[in-house]
Amino acid sequence: MKALTGNMLQDGEAVFWSHGRWVARFRDAELFDDAGKAEAAEGAAKSQQTVVVDPYLIDVIESEGLWAPLSFRERVRCLGPTNHPQHGKQADGGDDIDALRHAIGAARSTGRVNLIKRK
Amino acid sequence: MYQYDVIDKEFTDDRVAEFREQVGRRIAGEITEDQFKPIRLLNGLYLQLHAYMLRIAIPYGTLTSKKLRKLAWVASTYDQGYGHFTTRTNLQLHWIKLKDAPDILAALGEVGMHSMQTSGNTIRNVTADPYAGATADELDDPRVWAEAIRQWSTLHPEFSFLPRKFKIAVTASAKDRAATRVYDIGLAMRRGRGGELGFEVMVGGGLGRTPYLGATIREFLPTRHLLSYLQAILRVYNRYGRRDNIWKARIKVLVASLGAEAFARQVEAEWEKSEQEQVDLPDIELARIRADFTPKFEALKPRSEAVEKLKASDPAFARFLRHNVHPHKVPGYALVDVSLKTPGQTPGDMTSEQMNVAADLAETYSLDEIRVNYTQNLILPHVKLDDLPAVYAALKAAGLATPNIDLISDIIACPGLDYCALANARAIPVAQHIAERFADPERAEAIGELKIKISGCINACGHHHVGHIGILGVDKKGEEFYQVTLGGSGEEDAALGSMLGPALPADKVTDAVEQMVEVYLRERRDGERFLDTFRRTGVAPFKEAVYADAH
Repeated sequence: MKALTGNMLQDGEAVFWSHGRWVARFRDAELFDDAGKAEAAEGAAKSQQTVVVDPYLIDVIESEGLWAPLSFRERVRCLGPTNHPQHGKQADGGDDIDALRHAIGAARSTGRVNLIKRK
Repeated sequence: MYQYDVIDKEFTDDRVAEFREQVGRRIAGEITEDQFKPIRLLNGLYLQLHAYMLRIAIPYGTLTSKKLRKLAWVASTYDQGYGHFTTRTNLQLHWIKLKDAPDILAALGEVGMHSMQTSGNTIRNVTADPYAGATADELDDPRVWAEAIRQWSTLHPEFSFLPRKFKIAVTASAKDRAATRVYDIGLAMRRGRGGELGFEVMVGGGLGRTPYLGATIREFLPTRHLLSYLQAILRVYNRYGRRDNIWKARIKVLVASLGAEAFARQVEAEWEKSEQEQVDLPDIELARIRADFTPKFEALKPRSEAVEKLKASDPAFARFLRHNVHPHKVPGYALVDVSLKTPGQTPGDMTSEQMNVAADLAETYSLDEIRVNYTQNLILPHVKLDDLPAVYAALKAAGLATPNIDLISDIIACPGLDYCALANARAIPVAQHIAERFADPERAEAIGELKIKISGCINACGHHHVGHIGILGVDKKGEEFYQVTLGGSGEEDAALGSMLGPALPADKVTDAVEQMVEVYLRERRDGERFLDTFRRTGVAPFKEAVYADAH
């Protein structure tokens, strides 16, 4: 499963592709189980040069019944900096934020700042 | 400190106007990201994980209260109310919007600040001994020379497209507080046999993927020839530096591959044939610069009864004096270190409110000067001894008086994977966790000088190679792991650290630090710092303690 992400040109915010538009929360991202459709979306995104910078596809895994990016780096982009939990998208809270914090993809950490739960 | 003149001001204003137009064209789609990226980088604007990051130059780490207040205002108006001081003595703002960047640069321009050459393959912001102009052990104020280099190198047409970035540090003391051995060029002032002042010129130091300590290519360069000699070094680098491979493009690789002696011969030959007098600074210009670095000190008693009285009654103040207050060259004054390392906080971070407090203190008590140290702390360089109790109280109220300078909780950490697009692992939480473990000031004091430096990737912004304990975040099959090195130093006894052993998972790092501290406390002899003990014992006892469980 994949999602498509990039940063908005004007403010640099991390955003996610959803059926031709860009959304701020990962929970609202369109997920692709078809590689061809994902690459087609990436191609469309790359043509939006005045909207988004450097769009790229990311791998997605299941976490607590929801979805989360596989890589730790991408989860940090979905949340915000772990040293300032009041900054970034994580500040709003919610089940999707918890699922991202608890995700244990290939980039499994050991949960010291509660970003990722230890198993 | 140095004040911009009319020409400087017009120039920076023009530059802001040009960038404003370039940003407008990018947003309108008239230029592509590939075309725009080098332009924004030349103005210190990076795109990171959560937003744009603006790196603001603080030449030789020197600020006035007006400049620091402007930084505070920018941080609270355009960012999230805080900034991050870096190991290059710059300030990074991590939540910047592209559309605001021209307004921010215009605001900075009002106080003679900018972001030029804080990125790109240019001569970057010049750094200097943060105790410059205040310490008794210097031969001259190195900022006079750093400012000369800044003026010469800013948008220098010949050196605007170097093979790779280029960093210069200057000190005028035997005690190296500017990490000159790990710079592309390190300049250390020496006194010649006839009493003349000159520089020991070190070239080819650097950290990153292939760390090197700089090699001395000239023991003594008369100060008056500084700029022409720098030009010769840059010309040799510009001619022979590797442009085909980014990992081999720094001057350190050129110096290492040619050998320091062969490189020195090339520089000397280039220097001999160059028209030195056209580049070297005329005495009159040097005097003009120097006039801006001559604060007016008062004649004071070398001892303060107020300080002695409070020291006797307040152990916390006495501890602050021991660790954060240092002798000044003028009797009756002191240097005061302002710690940005309260355990649990992000190393180097400062809120706008704290910046305003520091600015007020600088204005009232420190001849309007404040310094940024590459250790990610600030310094009030010229505080009267009689004012120390008031300064201490104000710093304490603002959370800026942690008495831990050079102790185990005074940790350097780069922004790491919490912000940086290049990072492989986080650095800040590792620093926070270690600092919290050693938050007890008595314990930290008993351990003594111990410099921990943490980087979130091999680019080594956190100087891990030269930490007494260096910690490097690596991505090991997608997980955050940390490689530990021991025995590094970025000072006059400069050394690159030795590898402790296999990388540790994140939750083992603080325990490993504690185990190594226990080995040190067990093994140390009278007066030895952690570094001294390590150099005597070697890595074996530390390795044994940390990896005991694995055997």
